[in-house]
Amino acid sequence: MAFPVLYTLYMSVHSWFASSLTSPEFVGLANFRRAFLDDERFRNALWLTVYFTALATVLQLVLGVALALLLNRPFRGKGLVRSIFLLPMVATPVAIALVWMMMYNPTLGVMNYLVGLAGLGPYKWVSNAAIVVPALAVVDTWEWTPLITLITLAGLATLPLEPYESALIDGASAAQMFWRITLPLLRPTIIVALLFRAIDCLKTFDIIYVMTQGGPGFASETLNVYTFQVGLFYFHIGYASSLLVILFALVLGVSLVLIKVRRGSW
Amino acid sequence: MHVLRKWSILCIVLALALVSPALAQQFNWQQAKGTQLRVLLNKHPWQAAIEPHLKEFEALTGIHLVAEVYPEDQFRAKVLVELTSGSSSIDVFMSMPAQEGLKYMRAGWLQPVDEFLKNPALTAPDYHWNDFLEKTREAMVVEGKLVGPPIQVENTSLMYRKDVFQKYNVKVPTTLDELEAAAKALNGKAMTDDGQPGFGIVARGKRAAATSQFAAYLHAMGSTWIGPNREPMFNNEEGVKALEFYGRMLRSYGPPGSENNHWYEASSIFSQGKAAMYTDANSLFPVIEDAQKSKVVGKVGYALFPRGPKGQYGSTVASWGLAMPKSSKNQKAAWLFMQWATAREQVLAVQSEKGVLGARESVWKDPKGLTKVPADLRESLTVGSKVGTPLWNPPVVAVAECRDAIGAAIVTSIQGGDVKTAANKAAADVKRIMAETEKK
Repeated sequence: MAFPVLYTLYMSVHSWFASSLTSPEFVGLANFRRAFLDDERFRNALWLTVYFTALATVLQLVLGVALALLLNRPFRGKGLVRSIFLLPMVATPVAIALVWMMMYNPTLGVMNYLVGLAGLGPYKWVSNAAIVVPALAVVDTWEWTPLITLITLAGLATLPLEPYESALIDGASAAQMFWRITLPLLRPTIIVALLFRAIDCLKTFDIIYVMTQGGPGFASETLNVYTFQVGLFYFHIGYASSLLVILFALVLGVSLVLIKVRRGSW
Repeated sequence: MHVLRKWSILCIVLALALVSPALAQQFNWQQAKGTQLRVLLNKHPWQAAIEPHLKEFEALTGIHLVAEVYPEDQFRAKVLVELTSGSSSIDVFMSMPAQEGLKYMRAGWLQPVDEFLKNPALTAPDYHWNDFLEKTREAMVVEGKLVGPPIQVENTSLMYRKDVFQKYNVKVPTTLDELEAAAKALNGKAMTDDGQPGFGIVARGKRAAATSQFAAYLHAMGSTWIGPNREPMFNNEEGVKALEFYGRMLRSYGPPGSENNHWYEASSIFSQGKAAMYTDANSLFPVIEDAQKSKVVGKVGYALFPRGPKGQYGSTVASWGLAMPKSSKNQKAAWLFMQWATAREQVLAVQSEKGVLGARESVWKDPKGLTKVPADLRESLTVGSKVGTPLWNPPVVAVAECRDAIGAAIVTSIQGGDVKTAANKAAADVKRIMAETEKK
């Protein structure tokens, strides 16, 4: 397990164009300097990674918790509805991406028809540089909201009843109970769900690569997609390793912050 | 006695001299008998068409073939990894010189075949190298050296709806100006089966994928990728004009979202009857003429790519070919295979049986060669492959990286951005990439 990580670290301080006959050359931190100072595509990718992650996790969090609260009420067919909600999560991301790509197709797709019914559009969806990231975040949200719902439902099941009873006696409204009791008690659970999704979103590759390959232009090229291009299409193995180290640091940083928040130290 | 011997020697020499042309006719296909040859093939229509015939090669030569087939991505990776490792046992592999030729040649991995071709002991007299269409031969040359014979050829050409052009009385464009006029005239006109309107033109717009077809516009406009002094040239006045033209066509008369269209999306739109014209590789004709999926079967014309303002030809000539690694220990047998696979008989077979677009002129003149190919494709292909340019890719080592950089400028143009700035930025990027990857 340690070898790939250590080898990536080792390669990240080298320059190696894999198809030439020269061996890797030690360049120190030059790759990192280049990434942050000279590489516009990297800075663009870094920003898009953060943008996509923030957008997708917030959407999923709000929808996921709302759905969990709805599903937590007793109603007929609850089990069936719960199972159906889990379906997107178990489908293959590549298949999901292909289906959404057809739905988003501006000429032949169904999405423009649907928004047309509401008197909106037509949009170019993933072909429009301005909305491609939100459009991709929608796909990720469709796929992963159920995970947040699932975790939140588990959290809801463990909530103690006493605080609600006292609140009822004190005459609290439903909204007050939600904001003052449910949400604070759910906080650790929600942060765990958030942690899972944030790490995953930072690393998202399949749906983006299948749907846009980072396009149009570089408008949806996140760090992972860019690194893939640099390493496996351009064969700059050393530079790609440096980019991976940066992505690793980013994921690690976000995880540490969230873990701190969960422990309530902040 | 002495005199007699002298005379007899002279007689033998004379006799041999007279007989040798006859001997040459009897080309020795068995000269590498018993060799085992490892051939790497990319999953491709040519591979599918030639595979049933491989037994004939083994029977003719006594060479044992071990053919391995991989899907394109794995195929390219496999060849690259084996050649990089230096311990490759590949004898022959399918290759597109415009894609990887310069990289492989500079790395010293390719065995040029010029000497094999010139050697009458190794090349059959009826091979007729000059029968290959002029620019397909050129497409197989890297840094002045011949990599191998071409096996399949394709040109960027103009595919158009014959019925639509006739219905609205529009002339088939032969120049870029006429191309734009036709796109303008037909955009929004009814053209699908159920009378729905379609677009004037469709073409690829996705970053790197678009560059190989944009190449036709670039060259017709009178520019090219890299100048003679190895400096980027596509950002000169003509190049910027070509970029503006391509972007304007797709933005004004093309489907929305062109900037994410690869050939798959573009050909879907065209074969659904939703566009009047489509510029892309003519080797896509099986998709357009597929009765199962296409709604425009039999309605499409295949024309030469329109010419530029000064009459320049834009048609690109892309060739898949066969190549042999320098590391191969069976080069003689490898050359025999390359030669057999591209001999007239085999080219005629794969073209007539599976519609694989071959590179031999004589096959295109043979009525049998046309059975699986739309009739007007013959003319545009044979003319295009004589007058076109093999430079469908920038002639650099880091092709993929440069295509991404140039593709970004194409996307900017489709989006209606500042083309000149984008072109200059792409040129600066290409210059930097070349400096990084082409160190001597």
